[in-house]
Amino acid sequence: MKLLLRSLLASILALLLYPAQAKDDVLLRAASEELERAKKLQFPALAAPYYIEYAVDDALSFSLAASLGGIVTLRTNRFRVPRIQVRVGTPALDNTNFVLSDTISGSLPVDDHLLALRHSFWLATDTAYKNAVEVFARKRAAITNFVNPERLDDFSRAAPTVKVLPAGFRKVDESRWVSRIRAVSAVFAAYPKVLTSSVELEIGQSYAYMVNSEGSKLRLPDHLSHIRIRAAGLAGDGSVVRDAALFQAADPESLPGESELRAAAVRVAENVTALAAAEPGADYTGPVLFEATAAAQLLAQLLGRNLAIPRAPVSFPGRPAPVLESELDGRLHSRILPEHITVVDDPTLKEWKGRPLLGHYEVDLEGVVPGPLRVVDRGVLEAYLLTRQPVRGGGPSNGRARLPGAFGAKAALISNLIVTSSQPAPAAEMKKRLLDLAQKRKLDYGLLIRKLDFPSTASLDELRRLSASLAKAGSARAVSAPLLVYRVHPDGREEPVRNLRFKDLSVRVLRDIVAVSGDPQLFDFVNSTAPMALVGGANYVAGSAVVAPSMLFEELQLERPKEQLPKPPLVPPPPLAALK
Amino acid sequence: MTRAALVLLGAASCAAAQAPNLLSILAVELQRNFRILSEKGDPQAYFMAYSVVEQETGRAAASMGALLQSGVQRSRTLDVSVRVGSHKLDNYRRVRGERPQFAQPIAISLDDAPAPIVQRLWWETDRAYRAASERFIRIKTDEQLKAAEDPSDDFSVEEAVRYSEPPGRLKFSLSDWESKVRKISRLFARHAHVTQSQVSVVAERQTKYFVNSEGTRVQHGRGFARITLTAGAVAPVDGMSFSLFETFDAEDVSRLPSDAVIEKAVEKLAADLDRLIQAPVVDPYVGPAILSGRAAGVFFHEIFGHRIEGHRQKDEAEGQTFTKSVGQKILPEFLSVIFDPTVRNAEGADLNGFYRYDDEGVPARRVPVVEDGVLKTFLMSRSPIQGFPKSNGHGRKAPGSEPVGRQSNLFVESKRQMPFSELRTMLIEEVRRQGKPYGLYFDTVTGGFTTTGRRGVQAFTVIPLIVYRVYPDGRPDELVRGVDIVGTPLASFEKILATSDRREVFNGVCGAESGLVPVSAVAPAILVGSIEVQRKPRTQDRPPILPRPVVPEEAP
Repeated sequence: MKLLLRSLLASILALLLYPAQAKDDVLLRAASEELERAKKLQFPALAAPYYIEYAVDDALSFSLAASLGGIVTLRTNRFRVPRIQVRVGTPALDNTNFVLSDTISGSLPVDDHLLALRHSFWLATDTAYKNAVEVFARKRAAITNFVNPERLDDFSRAAPTVKVLPAGFRKVDESRWVSRIRAVSAVFAAYPKVLTSSVELEIGQSYAYMVNSEGSKLRLPDHLSHIRIRAAGLAGDGSVVRDAALFQAADPESLPGESELRAAAVRVAENVTALAAAEPGADYTGPVLFEATAAAQLLAQLLGRNLAIPRAPVSFPGRPAPVLESELDGRLHSRILPEHITVVDDPTLKEWKGRPLLGHYEVDLEGVVPGPLRVVDRGVLEAYLLTRQPVRGGGPSNGRARLPGAFGAKAALISNLIVTSSQPAPAAEMKKRLLDLAQKRKLDYGLLIRKLDFPSTASLDELRRLSASLAKAGSARAVSAPLLVYRVHPDGREEPVRNLRFKDLSVRVLRDIVAVSGDPQLFDFVNSTAPMALVGGANYVAGSAVVAPSMLFEELQLERPKEQLPKPPLVPPPPLAALK
Repeated sequence: MTRAALVLLGAASCAAAQAPNLLSILAVELQRNFRILSEKGDPQAYFMAYSVVEQETGRAAASMGALLQSGVQRSRTLDVSVRVGSHKLDNYRRVRGERPQFAQPIAISLDDAPAPIVQRLWWETDRAYRAASERFIRIKTDEQLKAAEDPSDDFSVEEAVRYSEPPGRLKFSLSDWESKVRKISRLFARHAHVTQSQVSVVAERQTKYFVNSEGTRVQHGRGFARITLTAGAVAPVDGMSFSLFETFDAEDVSRLPSDAVIEKAVEKLAADLDRLIQAPVVDPYVGPAILSGRAAGVFFHEIFGHRIEGHRQKDEAEGQTFTKSVGQKILPEFLSVIFDPTVRNAEGADLNGFYRYDDEGVPARRVPVVEDGVLKTFLMSRSPIQGFPKSNGHGRKAPGSEPVGRQSNLFVESKRQMPFSELRTMLIEEVRRQGKPYGLYFDTVTGGFTTTGRRGVQAFTVIPLIVYRVYPDGRPDELVRGVDIVGTPLASFEKILATSDRREVFNGVCGAESGLVPVSAVAPAILVGSIEVQRKPRTQDRPPILPRPVVPEEAP
């Protein structure tokens, strides 16, 4: 309550400093005026556009990274990114959803200079229209001459929305953040097994503008700040072991304070130290208990990315456009979870048990107002996340267009995914049931997972190795590796093991959940279209949250990676304690 | 005791008295790693180097009176180099045209805090050593090695050097420059035919730190400041688009020209564009031409300069035009071409290619590549080629790349000079002698090393921007557009007939294998007996469909 009040006060003060009523908003005015003119764009003898959209992210970003008490990067960036889309043809068939379809971007002046802003929109729109006309012609030729997937409309109808919320950038207390992040990064100096570590901060303030030729007009706050604490070490056999603590919030004042961050850094350091000394995990087939955070991370991947149905663009020989399929494609109204579980995606929720929900938003990027969506009703899949891009099995948009997507469409992401059960088991019983299942299979232990690598903080080297082994196994998508895994012995003792990977983990395993606890937890994260929401893996990000209980799976497979590992370093790490 | 050892002792006694600075942090950690990798490594490391480039950069850009971006930023980028094997054969040997790349640019702490820096140095040294070892083991057995034409070593032997100067600080007032770029860029808005325009300023203070396992320790730096004006227009009749630019370079913003000079340049760009979009399209032509001093500089850099970079001589994939021409005449005997990074200033301009030490810690020096038309040597890094076992201080790179021989300040010296008016007279005589209807005058060209930000323009390419037809009957010079030079006009160089007596300076940033490096070319106008041009291929471009927006209350 206190935090919300503080930020509310700050917002009011900020607005007094940076008045930006809709009628005074020069950027909004420039976009609207130029859009009006653009409706008259037309080549002689060719069609005028049937839809024009100007979107702008008006942003101020402060970012900072530190390692062992030294500042590595420090940057303030003020920028405006436009995205101009012009559609020619008809909603049934237009220039989008084609392998050559694109959106025009670039950069806009950051000054509120009406003529310069309109000038930029003018040139970008001209280019967008000319591209649209050419791409449309090539698409029609491709459809006529080559075999293409089933015909769906290219754009569904939606009512326009006008929503212009207050705007204004808040001043960031840079020196306070610098000293705080620097101090947290210094925590790792006391842990010799931590061989590389960093603490990163980004305070992102952004306003999402959109005007389109249907009459939508939006100016919405789209703020997202994060702190990432990461550390890695090496086990005796040369394997990298790592852990991370990620914090995110729409309001940077809601991020943890210094003492909480230091405690998180200590936990990460202790985890890395324990993992470096831990046994490598062995191949395992048996019951697995996912504690609430890990369960949320698993569902964010298995459900999150499969609830959006991708659509293969029209293509032609020599230009393959492979699209990763959704495992839930074609499975509407079939049971994907146990009957006692219901899953709702609800962007209208602002908080859960007093904590802000990161997936809250009021209007999506296409001007569609979302409502709560029961995606899984008593175990049965009932809905997909839909944008204005028609997909197989889907209807009109349900307001889930959260990020720019490919081939002229938008990408759908989960917002706040709330998982509930009508038959929760007592939390204390979950471990016991894990051991019972293990014993029935004559296993020496059961596996408990506390945290997955999600969003993934893997290095490029690790990712390369992971995708190479995936390609061999023939499966398209991976669920990220578990970071904190424990063998639970019959006497209740927990023994950490390292470097295990999931084998053959797909949406199908969700039917094998045999128990869920009665104490759900909130897990929020910075989401994107990158695989495993890889940190730094995408240009566009949005906040999401999952509320989920612990989950016990009857049988899952985990394996020890069989790749050749690099040899441990010949030179011992530098003795940091000796340095001053 | 040798002098080197005396210097070492001196440094040690000073170090005790003060906090470690970056150079000593690098040196100590390098020695700690090298001692083990050279004694216990299998394969053994025989050389290691750490280089850090520290940049403090201020920039501001505006268009039509509105700011596009601005800010001041600091960065420090680390490169680690490890060599295993020996000078004769190491992990950098090029096999089957493959260019080995071990460097990865790594951001390191901006403060001289030892802990994060040495931890990062150690982690990256391990990575670089493993990559070096893997490649060395792989190529050692490669059959192709035995077939190599050039038997020279993979790494030269050079003396260790010590040099240190205190790092400078960037003097840049962000708010002043934001106002200035806004004010100057607003001038373009008055010209209705200019579709795109931008005025930007970049000021940088660069400090380079370099240590290696041979005992070299250098810390040196310099400043760069540049104002760039760019403007574009589209010919209404056929949609041909044009982009012109002008740059002003100096070591420091205080040495850049006055606002009045820059504003005049804005007006000239706008006027040139106006005339260009109305000019006739060029006809295909072969004949004599004059290149202005700045155009000649670009020509020499692109067409000639890249061909005498040392690494290209050892590379089967390259043209290797001059590899076997050492001692032979490759230019007219009245011409000499000298590369000299020790020169800071020429013809009233600061030179971009000035530096004290190259990026392998080798002292910069004057290198006469062509003397009286005869090829003497190449631009050498520490990668030897047959007949040239040593570096001549031209091993250069951008952060994250491996160094190769690159250009510095290129000077064209001529013993057949005359005033420009006489050069024009000679052109017209040549036009008549060859029976051509006119000659050409290349006023402005751009190339792979200029600043228009043209991605995809390779080295070796020269693109004419402002070209005139020069008539023998005395009528005024006529601007033409759409000019493309046919092929790589290396042959033109042999046909240089004379030069003017005044040199002009072209400052640029050259992009090639080892990334962007600052360079310059200082050359007189040249008269060439024969150059071939053609019309640029037609594109599908059209002018903007809607007229430009007009905002009544903001008419400039």
